[in-house]
Amino acid sequence: MKELSLNILDVAENSVKAGATLTQILLDEEDGILTLQIVDDGCGMSEDVVHSVVDPFYTTRTTRKVGMGIPLLKLACEQTGGELSIESVTAEANPVEHGTHVTATFNMNHIDFTPLGDVCASVLTLIQGHPDTDFLFEHKKSGGVVELDTRKLREVLEDVPLNSYDVMEWIRVYLQEQYEALS
Amino acid sequence: MKVADLLAHGFRALSLPDGDREIDGVYIGDLLSWVMGRAQMDNAWITIMTNVNVIAVASLADTSCVILAEGAVMPDDLVKTAKEKDINVLVSDEPIYETALALAGLVS
Repeated sequence: MKELSLNILDVAENSVKAGATLTQILLDEEDGILTLQIVDDGCGMSEDVVHSVVDPFYTTRTTRKVGMGIPLLKLACEQTGGELSIESVTAEANPVEHGTHVTATFNMNHIDFTPLGDVCASVLTLIQGHPDTDFLFEHKKSGGVVELDTRKLREVLEDVPLNSYDVMEWIRVYLQEQYEALS
Repeated sequence: MKVADLLAHGFRALSLPDGDREIDGVYIGDLLSWVMGRAQMDNAWITIMTNVNVIAVASLADTSCVILAEGAVMPDDLVKTAKEKDINVLVSDEPIYETALALAGLVS
């Protein structure tokens, strides 16, 4: 994809589809290496399924026979010399602690590094589409950290839906101001 | 023009499970997500990318064939996958532009 943020959106949508109550999107930039983690507490995948999701001919969708989310993320990190790994625990194997943990590393100085793009827009899109599930977004850069935790927002907002216009606009500005404070 | 007809014009076949497929137009691109949304059905698709996702995108976009320009080498296991998935894959030793020019004279 032209921007990693679109890839992040695609993979995080899988977490929501897996029934996650909390999906964490964690970005960490250090010494020219970007580490992306997408961690959820969804239903998890068996070992066989974990192996097959990196295969583009595997998908849980019924409308087409090809699923490109993870394969394109794998390509994007491997073409910079990075790597992708997936760990997953199914709800059957562990009813208490289950879920999926996707880790992708990127060499940001590699000429084929895909720009991160508008990751705030991806986070907003996720909240807009899934106001009843929680998201933790964290982006560590050399100058500090950008953070958003919808669980904390929910405590303050009580019954106001997260995807109401005013809340979405507040989140957008909140993230933007944190990024501006870093640069 | 059928895919198999290209073999008489300097193209080599790596995988040709459906040589009788008609080519209608040409698409060129290497950014796979971009190609996925824009290549038209029955296009011949010129690229220099050779990973497994190329075969998946050719399948999704339903292109008539993949043409690897610049003599790009597709690993044997992926050629096997292409055959299994009924994807035609040809190779041109010419650069992308010259490959496109060669097709322009052949494909309507």
